[in-house]
Amino acid sequence: MSDLQSVFQPNTQAELAQFVTDNAANTKRSLQPIGGGTARCEVNADNVCEVQLDLLNRVIDFPARDMTITVEAGIRIAELNRILTSENQRLPIDIPQAEQATLGGVIATNWSGSRRFGCGTMRDYVIGISAIDASGQRFSAGGRVVKNVAGYDLCKLLVGSRGTLAIISQVTLKLRPMAETSAVVALTFDSLSQVDAVLSRLLTSATRPMMLDVLGRVGALARPNEGMGKSVHPPVLIVGFEGASREIDWQIETLLAECRPFEPRATESFAGAAAEPLWNTLRDFSMDSKSSVTFKASLPPSRTCVLLHLAIEAGIAVQAHAGNGIVIGNLSERVSTADQAIAAIKPLGELIRSCGGHLTVLRAPNEWSALHVVADSWAGSLAWTQRLKRQLDPRNLLNPGVMAFGPA
Amino acid sequence: MNSASPPSAQLLISRLRDIVGDDGLLFNREELLVYECDGYTVEKKVPDVVVFPTSTEQVVAVVRLCNELNVPFIPRGAGTSLAGGTLPIGGGVMITLTRMKRILEVNVRDRYAIVEPGLVNVHLTNHLKETGYHYAPDPSSQGACTIGGNVATNSGGPHTLKYGVTVNHVLGVEVVMPDGSVVQFGGPCEDGPGFDLTGLFVGSEGTFGICTKVWVRLTRNPESYRTLLGVFETVTAATQAISAIIGAGIVPAALEMMDQGIIGALEAAFHFGFPLDAGAVLLIEVDGLEVAVEEEAVRIEAICLENGAREVRRARTQKERLLLWKCRKQAFGAIGRLSPSYCTQDGVVPRTKLPEILEFITDCGQRHDLKIVNVFHAGDGNIHPILLFDERNEDQVRRVLLASDEILTKCLDLGGSVTGEHGIGVEKISFMDKLFAPEDLAVMKSIREVFNPDNRCSPGKMLPTAGGCGTESHPHKSHPGRRAAM
Ligand SMILES: Cc1cc2nc3c(=O)[nH]c(=O)nc-3n(C[C@H](O)[C@H](O)[C@H](O)COP(=O)(O)OP(=O)(O)OC[C@H]3O[C@@H](n4cnc5c(N)ncnc54)[C@H](O)[C@@H]3O)c2cc1C
Repeated sequence: MSDLQSVFQPNTQAELAQFVTDNAANTKRSLQPIGGGTARCEVNADNVCEVQLDLLNRVIDFPARDMTITVEAGIRIAELNRILTSENQRLPIDIPQAEQATLGGVIATNWSGSRRFGCGTMRDYVIGISAIDASGQRFSAGGRVVKNVAGYDLCKLLVGSRGTLAIISQVTLKLRPMAETSAVVALTFDSLSQVDAVLSRLLTSATRPMMLDVLGRVGALARPNEGMGKSVHPPVLIVGFEGASREIDWQIETLLAECRPFEPRATESFAGAAAEPLWNTLRDFSMDSKSSVTFKASLPPSRTCVLLHLAIEAGIAVQAHAGNGIVIGNLSERVSTADQAIAAIKPLGELIRSCGGHLTVLRAPNEWSALHVVADSWAGSLAWTQRLKRQLDPRNLLNPGVMAFGPA
Repeated sequence: MNSASPPSAQLLISRLRDIVGDDGLLFNREELLVYECDGYTVEKKVPDVVVFPTSTEQVVAVVRLCNELNVPFIPRGAGTSLAGGTLPIGGGVMITLTRMKRILEVNVRDRYAIVEPGLVNVHLTNHLKETGYHYAPDPSSQGACTIGGNVATNSGGPHTLKYGVTVNHVLGVEVVMPDGSVVQFGGPCEDGPGFDLTGLFVGSEGTFGICTKVWVRLTRNPESYRTLLGVFETVTAATQAISAIIGAGIVPAALEMMDQGIIGALEAAFHFGFPLDAGAVLLIEVDGLEVAVEEEAVRIEAICLENGAREVRRARTQKERLLLWKCRKQAFGAIGRLSPSYCTQDGVVPRTKLPEILEFITDCGQRHDLKIVNVFHAGDGNIHPILLFDERNEDQVRRVLLASDEILTKCLDLGGSVTGEHGIGVEKISFMDKLFAPEDLAVMKSIREVFNPDNRCSPGKMLPTAGGCGTESHPHKSHPGRRAAM
């Protein structure tokens, strides 16, 4: 990394477009779009300019009765949430560090959390998008109505594109009403195989959970490869509900009855305000500051507990969105080199590959770049992904090095 | 398309026969007539050949042959498109996927199924009956349309208000790309690496390749339903009730409106007991847990009555509920009683603008001396004015096209879109440059070039050609399929 780094912070979308246009015509520096900087990716280029988008934070239109909102992409999530709450509406995606994170960043990284089981992910909420391509051209797709199939769905293309295709400048979201209240039930079991059996049972539960998480915490004494010894906490299945109070009470009771035959070692329920801290803890799991590496694995839901078992054995603290087959892992704080990190993750790779899953590193020290390509399995779509990248950003100016596109 | 001289029809047919066998193709003029149009009957054109592949390998071979001989090709499902999506502009080979209709896997534990594209939508849900799960997207045409067609058009349906449209339920697709290669985008595992090419493919209307396999998400069945029929004196009162329901933070599973014109036809067809003198009825369904739905239904009843409903009826039995839905889903069928032909439009407006657009439609019908009836997905603001006409009457056809264009233009003026679920096809291609700026279209075109560089796959769809029809002021002339067909 050279010291030619600089920063540009546009006040308007027009200013941004002009800047990118000039850059494409003249200096051709690599551009790194930055929202709140909470999920920064390391770009691979010598001459990088950070494009800070947090001043693009205006609300363009909030027709609350239509349950949509159009905002600039640099708006902070906390600010967006405040605006939506005032109309009793929400974007039901769990986003940590909301005071920092921006909507554009959340979209670019396709962030999601526990509620994805009941509410889906960003792709289900972005109905209109504007972005600036690498040549400085501003383009839009979708629109401001909740149902619309005109033109190609570039919203989907940009969700999760990690700033490699275009800089997202404006977004229209479809919204949901606030839930009247919520509850969380935590059930501790002796083993992951019990949790797995319960998860199978809950497929035909009379309840309708919003969240089906499993936590596998590793105790302070756990060391990599120590095995499922005493220092490993027993796994906890966490089920979340949202809705009217009566509905919630009924679901808690029903769930506990459905789980009783599996003999949980402990059960705790939290309703209303009491549930809030737990939702927040789950939301923030991936931000555990003690751990140097956080990854996200994806596999068929039925394989989740097998992966959790392997991970816990390797001393990795894990949170699974078990209904979706998503596993977030925080490596032990003892892992202090890239080689150690690779060694810790490796045992998971075989299982993930064998069932067609993926593993992506969400967070790691910059220097550990070797880690970023550990276990992505592309299944043939890589070539088309690369062709699209070349078509929209032929000079590889936007976030070079991110997402397997090679350095600038 | 480059201009190599067309291959002899004989050669094309004999080579295709080698791939799909004798009973896998049609080429006699009379047999081809069935394929001259889909549910959009205003524009017509027969393909040169129709093939019925039974495997991905056959699709690959057909596509490779078309490339070799420089012949355009177009995928087709059941042909229920209402936007002329299957119109074979430039002729060529129509690849009909209705023989690839197997359910390859149902995996309830992982909540997905893998199906072939020709599977009829409702057959999947029927197949899942015992599992407690279903496939959520339920276009009104679900008894006929295919899942491949749904994927290509990103279809909606009455219950998409709560459950989302096709793209929200597709995990992955296998595609025979326009160059004949086979690729899988997405699959049973969520959040795959790279771009969301599944999401990009859904709704690409056959212009990015031919879908040969689909991984769909299965959705847990609701425990209970309440199905209500709100009876209103006027369309305006009904639309106000819609706004009030959504504004109250209730998301019904479905919220459909039918106006007086369609009620009459439905009553004649199904004898449900619809009130013939009502200005409009709302078909409202809430679903969820038994402990919750009753409360919601009561709130909805109250809101309807506050907004001028004359009465709110309830389906008392499952049989009654299913009959109500049958009426709704077969509403288009009942139109046969009203006129020989019809043209269904598919505009969208912000839901709060429903009163305005419906008033405009009434007025538009009067100005052009056309009967227009309405049955639509009101909760999404997705209107379906149905313009009745006789296709043998040239002047009526002209007025239908004019009125359609006016209605869709009005949707745009109100901040909406020209298609909520039926697609652009050929029908609405002239609207693309009203809906999008040249830069937007340029990006879309550059993306199509990545997948379909020779534009041999579904040519003339979705995007206007440079300097093309979009600039035509006369709607009658601006329909490319119509021109191609003439
Ligand atoms: C009575 C009636 C009611 C309707 N109700 C609804 C409704 O409620 N909601 C709604 O969204 N639509 C509705 N439609 C429209 C239509 O049914 C949908 O667009 C449907 O998805 C089309 O499916 P199909 O199999 O008939 O596709 P076709 O009409 O055969 O094709 C549609 C488009 O998809 C492409 N295509 C088809 N198969 C493939 C494939 N395997 N790979 C790639 N491209 C392919 C075609 O080229 C074409 O562009 C209705 C139509 C009718 C006639």
